Amino acid sequence: MQEGRSLTDREINRGLLNSLYQNPKWYWGSVTLLGVIVLGAMAAAGYMINQGLGVTGLNRPVMWGFFITNFVFWIGISHAGVMLSAILRLSKAEWRRPATRAAEVLTVFSLMTAMLMPFIHAGRPWRLFYWVFPYDWARGVFPNVRSALIWDPSAVFTYLTSSILFVYIALLPDLAVIRDRSTGVRRTIYSVLCLGWKGNSRQWKLQIIAGILLSALILPVFVSVHSIVSFDFSMAIAVKSWHSTIFPPYFVIGAVHSGVAAVVIVMALMRWLFHWHDYVRPEHFDALGRLLIVVATGWFFFFVMEFLFGLYGLEGDEISVKDFLTAQAPWSWWFITFVGTTYFIPVGMWLFKSVRRNPWLMVVACVSVNIGMWLERFLIIVPGLAQKQLFNFAWYTYAPSPVEVVIIIGTFALVSMLMLLFAKVFPLIPIYDIKEGEILKQEIKIGRRTVPAVIRED
Amino acid sequence: MANGNGHITPVEVDLTDQGITEHLSHKVFAFDRRLAYAMAGLGVLFILGIIGFVMRAVGDGFSDASRHEWGYYAAMFAFLLCTAGTAPLVAVAFRWTKNHWRRPLSRASEMFALVGILNLLWFIPLMALLPAIDLNGDGHLEVGVDRRTVWFEGPIGAPLWWDMAAMIGLVVCGLAILWVSARPDMSVVAARGSGWRAALMRKLAMGWQGTKRDWRRQQAFLAMLGGFYFMLLILVHTLVSLDFALSLVPGWKDSILAPHHALTGIQAAAGTVLVTIFVMRTWGGYGRYIGLDPFWAFSKVLLGLTLLWGYFWFSEFMTFWYGRDPTEQSVIKLVMFESYRTAFLLNFFFSFVIPFGLLLWNGVRKSVLGPTIAGASVIIGAFFMMVRLYVPAFNIRDVGAHSIADFEAGVGQAIPSQLLPVTPDVWDVFIILGGLSGTALIFLLGTRLLPVMSMWETKEGLLYMLVRPLLKGRYMVLGKPD
Repeated sequence: MQEGRSLTDREINRGLLNSLYQNPKWYWGSVTLLGVIVLGAMAAAGYMINQGLGVTGLNRPVMWGFFITNFVFWIGISHAGVMLSAILRLSKAEWRRPATRAAEVLTVFSLMTAMLMPFIHAGRPWRLFYWVFPYDWARGVFPNVRSALIWDPSAVFTYLTSSILFVYIALLPDLAVIRDRSTGVRRTIYSVLCLGWKGNSRQWKLQIIAGILLSALILPVFVSVHSIVSFDFSMAIAVKSWHSTIFPPYFVIGAVHSGVAAVVIVMALMRWLFHWHDYVRPEHFDALGRLLIVVATGWFFFFVMEFLFGLYGLEGDEISVKDFLTAQAPWSWWFITFVGTTYFIPVGMWLFKSVRRNPWLMVVACVSVNIGMWLERFLIIVPGLAQKQLFNFAWYTYAPSPVEVVIIIGTFALVSMLMLLFAKVFPLIPIYDIKEGEILKQEIKIGRRTVPAVIRED
Repeated sequence: MANGNGHITPVEVDLTDQGITEHLSHKVFAFDRRLAYAMAGLGVLFILGIIGFVMRAVGDGFSDASRHEWGYYAAMFAFLLCTAGTAPLVAVAFRWTKNHWRRPLSRASEMFALVGILNLLWFIPLMALLPAIDLNGDGHLEVGVDRRTVWFEGPIGAPLWWDMAAMIGLVVCGLAILWVSARPDMSVVAARGSGWRAALMRKLAMGWQGTKRDWRRQQAFLAMLGGFYFMLLILVHTLVSLDFALSLVPGWKDSILAPHHALTGIQAAAGTVLVTIFVMRTWGGYGRYIGLDPFWAFSKVLLGLTLLWGYFWFSEFMTFWYGRDPTEQSVIKLVMFESYRTAFLLNFFFSFVIPFGLLLWNGVRKSVLGPTIAGASVIIGAFFMMVRLYVPAFNIRDVGAHSIADFEAGVGQAIPSQLLPVTPDVWDVFIILGGLSGTALIFLLGTRLLPVMSMWETKEGLLYMLVRPLLKGRYMVLGKPD
């Protein structure tokens, strides 16, 4: 688990800060391109708000389509941060070091993007005010606090707040490093941001305690967020295929699966774009690949249980949904694609060490996972609504309109653009964490062999 | 703390390869009066268990009509599956993750694979008690007439023979793990002992010589068998919980039950191993090998499992309770809030409240007694969980009904008789005692054949752990081989 050469502090500073101080042509070109796509999505959203939801493919009974699918997808991606940062920090996994910051930042940006989706989905975003606040003051009509749809924003905003704190606390030592290398206004800004960090032992102690506390406290929030998102579905008894006791853990493990896969993609891109070959090494992809095999297999077990219990009850409503998914084209093709891309293709690839150690093959497998996980949410939401339900006499299927497609593409561009912009002002790999890893790195001689080792601090 | 070459031992005493070999192989052959008394006592209790089983079988027989008498027997089977049956997973999992603190507990957890034989024998009578899927025998499945199962209409032999095949696979795989892992120690025991045990060990060691090829093959087999064991274990938990609990209760449709059952098993297995190493450390004379490390590290795992247990339970409860569906309400009334309220409260208290309340504190986690108490608590909790799942399920006579919400209470009854709680009778108590004592007895018999502390893993640990200076302090350095 310790490949690559030893690095000095100076080399680490220089290497990891190059994203801030260098201006390659591709950088601004990419930001501009992504910005144009985001503007296009904003224009599409504006058009939809102006014209009404009629320009989307949503219609009775399928009133949740691409937007809610995308909302669940981005909430899922946000689970990468805690999984890789908090859990691996608490379990003291050494290979976490180059992945934590990117995972945490991805969490923040994907949560922000996820929260845009209900705003857009509402059609008239100002109506979201009624979602959480009392409206029509005179009659005292309050939102239904017993609805999972109300618990949702509370959980997501708590997660967003704690994730921002998590990123910020871990950034403090690195901000001081940038401050010490900056001049003028830039220095002033970083001086304010690093809160007077000097790197004395008291500050380090506080930073470590804060990191551990936040890691532990954020875990229940992390689990609650996607559980409550699943409650949006499983609490509804009208849509039979959604009412399943396994939904909370099934959603959480699916989120971890897609989130960790997304981090692998980000790491491979960082490595390639910023030439961080000394920091993001094949061993890290190997470890992530092994983690992903476990997560994916756990997810697959939950998926099998969820599918099996859709049939177990022998109830017409549910069987019709499963029939729709497995026997009626094009849905059956989407279903096969979903299962193949989420589990069989990537896990089949990860079983080979040579694949796990190859960043680009890992990217292929992880893109496959995220295609599958996006489809999973789509196939949970739409067929359940499209099929005939109790008290519902309308049969209708759903096809997204170009407006929805453009907005969805825009969300991917938005997260990518925000990640690139972040990399321009803050290091995407924690400098202090890498330096700490270098200090703790050891070797043990056993006979003629040299075994990598690590210092244990407690 | 450190021996001559700078390498340190897993605990704070000096150990050498020679010392480990001598002490651990001596423990196998030495006569221990306390152990003999314990085994005799356990033997008596085990015989009581056999008497309980025989009396139950003779008195009530094995039929649909007598199924309700066998609820505690089924619960005890599931409990043994959760504790001893799942315990080898502890060795498998932490060997995969290459944790050094696993070394003192690996063999103890693998040794529970021997109890799998008892678990397998225990399963056979249950096969005779499971009702047919096609209740009216007309060859096809009809809602409201036939019962619902996860096997639907096929395949041939479902569910009994498929369940049996999975059980056999699990037990054989567990025993194979124990054998592959113990071969190096078997050859040592064979070389240092005499008599029938040494001869048996020599045969079982199958020419182990400790060559590079031997070690490589052992690592490969352990990794492969570990993977199989994990998958088979989850499969068995799934099949047992769905075939012997859920599908016997009309209208119970609970997709999280199987994962929750498996998780309870893993949690109880962690508790079983913790209690076992505590006993080994305190009374077994293995104190020099079992330091604070395994307790401290394992307690964090147990805390995580406990939190997951609470989460899985909440997912089940919340979906049923919030949904207000009459069928689901009647199910949670049966297994949680009315008929088996006491068992549920004890289950919740021992599986979640006590371990969570204890392990939340670092001071408790970083002790020997704290994690042990939490471990004992989750074992008790698992027992009550199995009682509240299997006893009511075996008490349902009308297994082909659409929903238990449709059952009608008799005159003067608040609850339909099929949903009333069943209290254990004397034969049930004997069977429970027999199961517990049988588990302990088989484990102790195992220690008379093999060292309960893995010699080769303990010695390997000495090579991978050192103390080195860093800045002003001295720290432990852990080797991380690929």
